[in-house]
This record gives sequence, structure tokens and C-alpha cells, in this order.
Amino acid sequence: MIEVILIIVAPIIGGLIYGLERVVRARMQRRQGPPILQPFYDMLKLIDKQALIVNPYHSILGIMHFVTLWVVVAFVVLGQNLLYIIFLHLLSAIFLIIAGFSAKSIYSHIGANRELQAMIAYEPILIMTAVGFYMINGSFDISVIRNNTSEIAGLFLIFLAFLMIIPIKLKKSPFDATEAHQEIVGGVEIEYSGIFFEFLYMAKWLEYVFIYLLLMLFAGDSLILGAVLSVTVFLLVNLVDNSTARIKMKHLIKIVLGIGLSLSMINLIGLSYV
Amino acid sequence: MTTYSILIIAPLLFAFSVLFGGLRVRNVLTVVFVLFLAGVSLTNIFLVSSSTQILFSPLLHYLFILLDSIVLIYFLWQGVIKKHNLVTFFALLQMMLYAAVVFFSSSITSSDILIDEISSTMYLVINIVGGIIIVYALGYIESEKFSRFKKNGFIALLFFFLSIMNFIVSTNNIEIFFLLFELTTLCSYILIAYHGDEVSSENALKALWINQIGGVAILIALIVSITQYDTVYFDMLINNINELYLLPIVFLTIAAFVKGASIPFDKWLLGAMVAPTPVSAMLHSATMVKIAPYLMLKLAPAMSGFVSLSITLIGTFVFFSASLLALSKDYFKEILGLSTIALLALMMALAAIGTKEATTACLVLIVFHAISKALLFLQAAILEKSFNLKYVNDINGLINHSPFVVLFIVVGFASLTLPPFGAFVAKFMAIESIANEIGNNPLYVLALIFIALGSVFLTLLYFKVLTKLLAKDVSQEKEIHVDIPKLFTVPSFALLALLVMGVYVLYEKEFLTTAQVFVPVVLIAVVPLLFATLLFKKAHRVKEYHCGEKEEPQLNMYYFEIARSYKMAITVVATVLILVLILGAML
Amino acid sequence: MFDFKPIRKKSPWILHYNAGSCNGCDIEILACLSPKYDIERFGVINTGNPKQSDVFLVTGPVTFRSRERLIELYTQMPEPKVVMAVGSCTCTGGVFRDMYNVENGLDRYIPVDVYVPGCASSPELIIDGLVKALEILESKTKEIEKPFKLFREASLDNTIVNRRNSALKVGEDTTDDEKN
Repeated sequence: MIEVILIIVAPIIGGLIYGLERVVRARMQRRQGPPILQPFYDMLKLIDKQALIVNPYHSILGIMHFVTLWVVVAFVVLGQNLLYIIFLHLLSAIFLIIAGFSAKSIYSHIGANRELQAMIAYEPILIMTAVGFYMINGSFDISVIRNNTSEIAGLFLIFLAFLMIIPIKLKKSPFDATEAHQEIVGGVEIEYSGIFFEFLYMAKWLEYVFIYLLLMLFAGDSLILGAVLSVTVFLLVNLVDNSTARIKMKHLIKIVLGIGLSLSMINLIGLSYV
Repeated sequence: MTTYSILIIAPLLFAFSVLFGGLRVRNVLTVVFVLFLAGVSLTNIFLVSSSTQILFSPLLHYLFILLDSIVLIYFLWQGVIKKHNLVTFFALLQMMLYAAVVFFSSSITSSDILIDEISSTMYLVINIVGGIIIVYALGYIESEKFSRFKKNGFIALLFFFLSIMNFIVSTNNIEIFFLLFELTTLCSYILIAYHGDEVSSENALKALWINQIGGVAILIALIVSITQYDTVYFDMLINNINELYLLPIVFLTIAAFVKGASIPFDKWLLGAMVAPTPVSAMLHSATMVKIAPYLMLKLAPAMSGFVSLSITLIGTFVFFSASLLALSKDYFKEILGLSTIALLALMMALAAIGTKEATTACLVLIVFHAISKALLFLQAAILEKSFNLKYVNDINGLINHSPFVVLFIVVGFASLTLPPFGAFVAKFMAIESIANEIGNNPLYVLALIFIALGSVFLTLLYFKVLTKLLAKDVSQEKEIHVDIPKLFTVPSFALLALLVMGVYVLYEKEFLTTAQVFVPVVLIAVVPLLFATLLFKKAHRVKEYHCGEKEEPQLNMYYFEIARSYKMAITVVATVLILVLILGAML
Repeated sequence: MFDFKPIRKKSPWILHYNAGSCNGCDIEILACLSPKYDIERFGVINTGNPKQSDVFLVTGPVTFRSRERLIELYTQMPEPKVVMAVGSCTCTGGVFRDMYNVENGLDRYIPVDVYVPGCASSPELIIDGLVKALEILESKTKEIEKPFKLFREASLDNTIVNRRNSALKVGEDTTDDEKN
């Protein structure tokens, strides 16, 4: 029962995280910042706006992106197979990318292209993370991983690699070239407006929930450790976001794949000797 | 009359009966034959296979030797008249080695035919998918400018091909296996050169000499096997194998690499693109290249630590690099070709791991890959014949003109990457079984990385094509109405049905849970449509944002250009890996 | 039915367009977003994308070269929307008034809701103007708002409103241009 409620309110939780993040970021810059409920105000306003679309497929794909992401979050909550979830998540990213390419818009194309390149960077690391969990728990099932004790010590290098991909998924500096608001005006999301943009906006919240739920897996069955981990990572990600500049896609792939893959490789080799 | 003999002999008879006769008679006959073959291969599963010893009479063996000599002489003759030195050289080399094999030949006999679970699955793939390909070949070949006899001959050759393939997956005798291997080479040589022009003949010769390397490898394996183990049978070789002396196994795997067009032997499969599209479909999906994973599966029990590891590494490396190379391509069939190479390499790697799980993954991948590739090549044929499109970049907004073709292409690509289809399940199990192996040998981490990267590249590749299909402009010119012949649409639906049945089988066999199958389908397909119908009427259509500029931009597809040095490096690494495999087995 | 109108005020997203301004006002607008004035506390985001914005901030006297883009951006904004003319030039043409390449203010082209004077207008003024604009935004409907020039009525195909070609090029429809 609690799972069902959790699944239903997942976007709301994501919205709260996003709202909180905007406040925290503002405070780090010594600003007052918007209210915590700001994302929900945005959401309600977007429902009320006149909907404009460029073509139906583009909009359907945006909705599919949102729905798939919600299913992904639901599967994580229900404790399904981690590897399956990662591939389903890949599917949701793909919907967004096809959407980006389906509109005849330059920024949309550039954004989708960067999204693709970002995918090259984070997807292998997600798979490696899943394999890391598998080698310790002997199963890809999230329910099993959650019932075992925390493995963060054994998976520390993979954890570091995972930290590197959080900014990519959450569109944070230094890895936010995929969205790049001032440069390519949001990339893929540019052609969406009104209620259709809202699905993308809420998908962004679900992305928060997804990433933090995955992060919680490193804490195993300890909720306290999970909470500590989430808060620390939340603050760290925002601090890094505020203090770094955006880097190019080329460098993003090189850095994340170079460092992330070697870290997780070393970790897996280490695990094989245990 | 056992099923295997029907499956081997019937297509031969069919080949002769379609050779003559008019268009209508031939078409009806072919469809009936194809249905018959599919029925036989289906009943074969339910029959209890008897493990009786089946020995061919010595007379038959002499006939095989005679056939073999004729084929080799034909190759030599082709090499000489086409002035292709490599073909001549390899034909001569094979003749010498074959003479040695015949000279040594061992006296111990075993069953010449061995049908196991793998063969039964292969029958299904070959006869059902291959049959559907023949059906649409009927439609395709009519639009070519050949004489009536040559058109019929084309269909006959495809039937002949099915017969050889059915034989090759039933045989247990390596000598016969070699003969059939050479016959597939011969068939592909004739089919690739079917257009009869300069380019076709050049590519056919390329296919010929590269495939002959495989023949040489098999012959070496035979000689070693006869001298060391005194046998020419797969089962005896595998049962008696000495862990320290795996040379015959290694050479047979090299033959598999050649047939599977694994890098560095990949050139022939891409060259085969010049042939009529059904030939590509035949080579890629149901027949020819599937010999490679089949052979690997057969040999897997004999592979030990080092050989298994290095084949897995080679396979996953090729999977990764072929996917990477495909990203820079624009020609639709070439993209399909490179993805075949990649997936075949993955199948071989899985087979080489040899655990129960990996073997199942390999079989699932073989079946689904065959269906998906047949579907995709069929769509390639439609694009080529009905729309005159060959390059991905030109298929802009196809969804406006032919939603069904787009649907089939989308399903075809999705079935190679996404849940709940089989290729996804296979990839899933591949990662799982490699993760298991890491515990035994840390070097498998490399294989894991190759698979992780390769699968991402492959996904990118497929969706690169899809992006072009769905790009719809609102200010489109009027729809183009193109009639697609029934012989194209019916096989498309048949293949689609096969895919759905495949998913059902996976679900029945509990590879996927209910949630994993149905939730994606329902939520991803149905929910958005509900939203769409509710919301779209009210939405205004508006122009794309171009910073307020009015000029329409010309947008093309993205490319990932791969530097020449990388291409070289990939070939060199793959070659070195294979040499390491041979050397390691020798020492 | 839930009343969305009070919410509009809480999340105004801005599109900022420079119609030939000297950049004085633009800098002041950016100053509004910076930590000292921090209009993000009202929920303002500078989207830079017409399709997701509610407030159209225009600076500059509308030069000949910029009017096409101005109209295009305006028609791409979804209703309800408000337009703010920021700076003297945008309100009246300012020091550039009656020059050969200048259109003497924004309101000859699109309906303006709030005029913010000043050369350059100070951040405080801009914030005051924005607050005023939000009050106007609250009272607006979802009816299509039309520019005065370079505009063609939206066409209907199958009861779907097609606004793709609403904004015209200069010279594309001369009769309409001369009439105004």
C-alpha cells in the first residue's frame, strides 16, 4: 500500500526536491530565492496556458517520455530488476531524443544530439553500477538489494562514478551542456509549451526521484544512512553546480567515461578477488 | 522418413520444381512449399528425437567427396577466369589440404546426423523466417530486369540454400560440414553476383576469398583432429577433448568468425549489399551468418578457460566496434549489415561463455535477430522498390506517406533493443552471465564494458534512423500515395506476428515477469494516445522557434565520424586478438 | 473548476527581446535577476523561449531590421501573455524618435500592457512594472492576441487552429502594411 502511495506522489516529491533545490541554490548565492512550492505554481500555470504544438508526434513522444519515466520510478519503488529498470530508463531517454529530432528545429536537434552524447557517457556507468550490486548481492532485484546491509564500502569507487553522472541526469553544472539554458534554450524542450511542456517539466522532477532512489540503494537496508547520503549528495551537487562552469560535450564524455569507467572497472576487479 | 531428411530433401525438390513454369504457378507453388517447410519444422519440435545412429553409406561419402572436389575446382576456375589471385590461391590451398584430409581419413565412425535442441531451434529459424523471405523475394525479383528463367533460378537458389542450411545444422561429421560450408559459400557467391555487373562480381569474389579462409580453417582443424584425436565427428571431438590441446576447436571457431563476418573478416558481408535485397535478408537473418553462432554453440562444451575467455573478448570487442563503426554510416542496408555483424559477435561471445544462461541467451538472440532482420530488410526492400530510397538521410518524414512501413521499421528496431523483445532479454542475460564470470576471471570486466558501450551505440544507431522517419513537418506537401505489393505487406505482418509470438514464448518460459512485459506495452502505447486525443484538438499549431527568423532551416541527420586511425586500430586489435587465440591454443 | 488565474501571478516566465536597444536597459534587466534585486523570488525565470513565457520584455526602439522577428516571437507566445516596453526608446522611440531606421516605439506593432520609462529604466522601476504587468496578466483571457502589423489571421484546418504562418515577412503583404 505504501508503495502505491509513494508511486502516486512521486512527481510531487520530485517537485518538492526541485523547489528545495532552487531555494538552496539561491541561498548559496545569497539570494532569497523562490518559495519552495514554486515548481507547483509553475505547473498549475502551465496547465492554464494556451497549448501550442509543432506536430503531434513531437508532443506524443514528450508525453511518452514522462509516462515511461514514471513507470521506471514505480518499478524502482516496487523493487523490480535493476538492470531492467536501467534499460527502461534508457527507453525514456530515447523517447525524448526522438522527440527532439522529430521537430524541424535547430535547437531541438542540437539538444537531442547532446542528449545522445550524454547517454553514451552515463549509460555504461549505470550498467556497471548494476553489475556492482549484482556481484555483491547475487541478484539484480532491487528488493534484495534493499534488504541487504549497506555495501557502500565495497562499492565505493562505483559510488564515486555514480556521483559523476548525477549532474548529467539532473542537468547541473559542469555537465549541463545537454540543456544549456542560456546557450541552446533548453535543447530538446524548446518546442514544447503549455500543458505539453508540463509533462517534460514533471519528467524532470521524476528524474530527481529516480536518481535519489538509486542513490538510496547504496545505503542498503539502513534508512538513516540513505537519508544522510541523499542530503549530502544533494548539497554537494548543488555546491558543485554553483561553483563550476559548463564544459563541452566532448570533454563531458571524455571525463565521465574515462574516469567513471576506470573507477568502476577497478572496483569490479577488486570485487572479483573478494 | 524422419523430419530432418524431409527438411533437407524437400527444398531440393522444390528448387527444381519452381525452376520452370510461369509466374502464377511459381508463386502459388512457392507459397505452398514454404508453408509445408514451416509446418515440418514446427512438428519437429514436438517429435521425440530418437538417438539412433545414422550412418551414411560409403557410396554417399564418395559422392560428398566428389561434390567437394567439384566445388573446389569451380572456385579455382572462377579464380583463374576472373583473374583473382586470392581466390585462386585459397582454392589451391584448400585442394591440397582437402587431399590431405581424404588421405588421412580416420576409420572410427559415429553418427553422421545429430539432432539436438539447438538444431531444432535452428530449423525453425531457417525454415519459417527463411520461408517468409522467399515469399517476399517473389515480389522483389519480379521488378528486376532478368529473364524468366533467371528469376525462377533465383527462387530455386534460395530453396537450395535452405536445404543446405537444414543439412548443416543436422550434421555431426566435420567433413560433411566442410562440404556444406563450401556450398553456402558457393551459393552466396552466385547470389551476390546475380546482377551480373562489374560491382556485383567484384563483391562476390571478395565474399568468395574471405569465406574460403573459413574453409581453410576447417580443413586445418580436420587434419589436426584426425592426427591428434583420430576422429572427424563433432561429438567425439568434443567428448574426448584434451584441455591442453584445443587447436581443432580454435580453428573451427575461426571458421565461425569468418562466416559470422566478424571483424577483420567483415568486408564480405558489407559487399553483399549489392545483391538483390532478399539475398541480404537471407544471408543476414535466417541462413549463412547463423552458421557462426550455431558452430560456437556446438563447440562451447569443449572450450576451456583461456579459449572461452578470448572468444568472449573477441566477440564483445567486435560487438562494440561494429556498433561504433555503424554510427558513421548513412546507407540503410549498410547500417543493418553492421548491426548484424555486431549482434553476431555478441551471439558468439555468449555461446563461448558456455553457461546454461548464456547459451539460452544466445539462442533467444538468434531467433529474434533473424525475425527482426528479416523484417527490416523487407522494409529496406520496400523503401528501395516503392519509394526509391536507399539513404537514411532521404527518408525524411516517411510517416506522412506510409505509416505502416514506419511502424514496421520502428518495431524492427525496437525488437533489437527494447523490452519486452527477445534481443533485449538476451542482452540482459548476457550482462548477467558475464557478471557471473567476473568472479572467476577479472578480465571479463573488459567484456562487460564492451557490451555496455556497444549496446548504447547500437541503440543510438537504431534511433538515429528512427528520428528521420518520424520527422514530420506540418507544412508538408501533399501525401504521396505509393502502392506496396501484397507480397511485401503480407510477409511484414507475418514477421510481426512471429515477433509477438516470440515475446509470448519468452513470457511463457518466464524470462520476463508479467509486469515487465505488459506494463511497458500498455503504459507506453495506450496512455499517451489517450492524452493525445484529449489534448490535440484544442492545441494550436505553431512554427518552430528559430530566434524569430523566418527562413526554414535545412536539417540533416547527425553523424559520428570515426577517424581512419580508429578504424585501422579496430582491425589491428581484432586481428591480434585472433592471433593470440591461435598462439595461446598452440602453446 | 479550479481557478488558475491567481496562480498566473506566481510564476511569470520572461522572454527578453532586444529590438535595437543600446543594451542599457538589458543590463538593468539582468541586474534585476542578480542577487541584489533577485526577482526569482517572485518565481521569475528568464526562459529565452517564447513558447514557454508569459511576459514579453522588449527593449529598444524597434528598428526596421528587428520588427519581423518581434512579430514572429510575439505570435509564438501562448496566451495569456503581457507585453512590457522597457525604457524610453521602447515606449516612444526616445532619442531615436523619427530616425530613418526606427519605428518610434513598440506600440505601433504589438499591443503593449505596461510602459516602463527611463533611460535606462532602473531595476526598481522594472520590478514595479512587472508587478503591474502581473495584475494585468491575471485578468487576461486565452483569446488570441494580435499584432497590429505584419499579421495574418490564423487559418483553420479541420477545426485545428494553425498559427504557423500568422507572422508575415516585411513586404509579403504590402496592402496590409500601408493601411496601418
